[in-house]
Amino acid sequence: MHPSLSIRRLAKQFGANRVLKGIDLEIPPGRLVVLLGPSGCGKTTLLRTIAGISDPSAGGIWLGDRRIDDVPPEKRNFGLVFQTYALFPHLTVARNVSFGLEMRRVGKAEMARRVAAALDLVGLGDYAGRLPRQLSGGQQQRVALARAIVIEPDVLLFDEPLSNLDAKLRDSLREDLRALQQKLGITSVYVTHDQSEAMALGDEIVVMKDGEIIERGAPIELYRRPTYRFTAEFLGMTNVVEAEIAAGACKLPWGDTRPLENPGATDVEGVAIRPEDLAIEAVTTGEHGTIEQSMFMGAATHYWVRAAGRTFRSIASGGGSAILPKGQKVRLVAPARLHLLRRHAAGSGTSA
Amino acid sequence: MIERKVRTPILLLCLLPGVGYLLALFGLPLVRVVYGSFTGSSLEEPGLGLATWQALFANPVYMDGLWFSLWLGIAPTLVSLLISLPLSALMQANESSRRLFGTLYKIPLVVPGIVAGFLVLIVLDRGGMASRLATPLGLSVPRLVRDDLGLGAIIASTWKTVPFMTLIIAGAMAAISKDVLAAARTLGASQVIILWRIQLPLAQAGITAAILLSFIGSLGSYVIPSLLGPAYPLPLSVHMFAEGFQKGNWPMVYAMGTLLSVMAVAVLLAYYTIIGSLGRSKPGAS
Repeated sequence: MHPSLSIRRLAKQFGANRVLKGIDLEIPPGRLVVLLGPSGCGKTTLLRTIAGISDPSAGGIWLGDRRIDDVPPEKRNFGLVFQTYALFPHLTVARNVSFGLEMRRVGKAEMARRVAAALDLVGLGDYAGRLPRQLSGGQQQRVALARAIVIEPDVLLFDEPLSNLDAKLRDSLREDLRALQQKLGITSVYVTHDQSEAMALGDEIVVMKDGEIIERGAPIELYRRPTYRFTAEFLGMTNVVEAEIAAGACKLPWGDTRPLENPGATDVEGVAIRPEDLAIEAVTTGEHGTIEQSMFMGAATHYWVRAAGRTFRSIASGGGSAILPKGQKVRLVAPARLHLLRRHAAGSGTSA
Repeated sequence: MIERKVRTPILLLCLLPGVGYLLALFGLPLVRVVYGSFTGSSLEEPGLGLATWQALFANPVYMDGLWFSLWLGIAPTLVSLLISLPLSALMQANESSRRLFGTLYKIPLVVPGIVAGFLVLIVLDRGGMASRLATPLGLSVPRLVRDDLGLGAIIASTWKTVPFMTLIIAGAMAAISKDVLAAARTLGASQVIILWRIQLPLAQAGITAAILLSFIGSLGSYVIPSLLGPAYPLPLSVHMFAEGFQKGNWPMVYAMGTLLSVMAVAVLLAYYTIIGSLGRSKPGAS
């Protein structure tokens, strides 16, 4: 059983620049938590502080019930996978993978067995004798993964490991990575700025902004019912609609009224309607608006609809046999219940 | 076919500024030196022969000078390497150490060799500053200037060499990805192991260049051994000056120069052989 990871009031400051502002985070054993946020939000600093490469300015980190923030990185037994692969270029694949085992003084026979097993696990059993420069980017990242897991780490840390790969390879490695993490059951923290990667991989997503956790939750929860506008907009496309709210219902700009999922929300900034939840119907009279632009994307067609003085985005799944033309009069059909978004103020993020 | 016939001379013409420069300024003088060593006792004597070389190898003063030259080339290089390697690694450790050492080590860069020689003379010669400071404490400073081992010359050469060597090695180490070093740490490597297993192999090209520059510079040094070296043996560089400008025996100067160059190449080949065998002895290392 892998231990849990607890981060309490963790802060990091470079001079006057507060990069992490008192992060609280509990990661249960065996879970993969994704830190998601834009560049400069502090997610990589948080990951590197967990790894021990960077020292915290305040707060602490616990592995199970053992405090580890004063333990040097070489003693933490954490596996770290980098965006840049960070393989040792002068060592073969096998020597890269065995490096951590050599540091742990594992016997030669045991080392050979574990290196072979780790390389087989990532599908590179035949590449043991090659140098990193003789491998593709995807293969190099697999070696980096094998190198991180062969030491049987207590925690696996991923720093945007797929960012340097092309789209096809990224999808394939993402699936492998998820399957491997679930198979091994290692408590993992994964940093990315890619929302689709976060949703595909994470048991939970932690959304960060300006050194704070905005909110966290299961991918579907955060996608369907985000608390804040930042989360709604960062996790995919959304229409944030400023609507009139009264008596637990919401009047949309084009005149329709819908009941609310969360009528008790305070500091309301608007209503979130995902484009795939906003249907359009072609009409000749009684229209809400007209199609401003359309884009056929294969599996779906994206529409930009001009209505009530602004543009709304709608996605028709399946692509449709006929694409509605520009200037077509349409009615907008909102989902049965609407979700209110709260305004986020600095320091009001969740502690989880 | 015609195109190829035209293209080859054009390519040669294009190469001429670079290759021609190398041939004119380095290749021809080198050929002239080697050729000159096989002429008679003076350039006016016609014909080629081995008389100069025989005289060089038969003279124990010159042979002692050759070994002493090698000693004065190798010793400061090794001492400088022992200082520069950890210094360069320390400079990569964090920003404050980079700032501190980065300023300190550069000071000797701006001091000419002869000034460095005089500094060592003033500090370490008998009756010098070190001696005057040590005497009231009942201590005595061992003979370090004009001593038989050439320690004063080695100290001065080292003092001059360390900044250049550090500049090159620190540059080579700075080029190593920080993620690679961080990866080694998270895998369990201490700073010393990272230096030995990661930084040194990856900075090997820079280290080799630094060794080469330091060794060649110290091997042919004239000013520092003249000022701080012993009366006997004298390095070949000092003999060359005397043979040329005091005795007018230029073929001997050429022979000594050729011999020094051959010995330099031999030492460097030995270095490459050792480095190569170290690489091969580690299974899996490239």
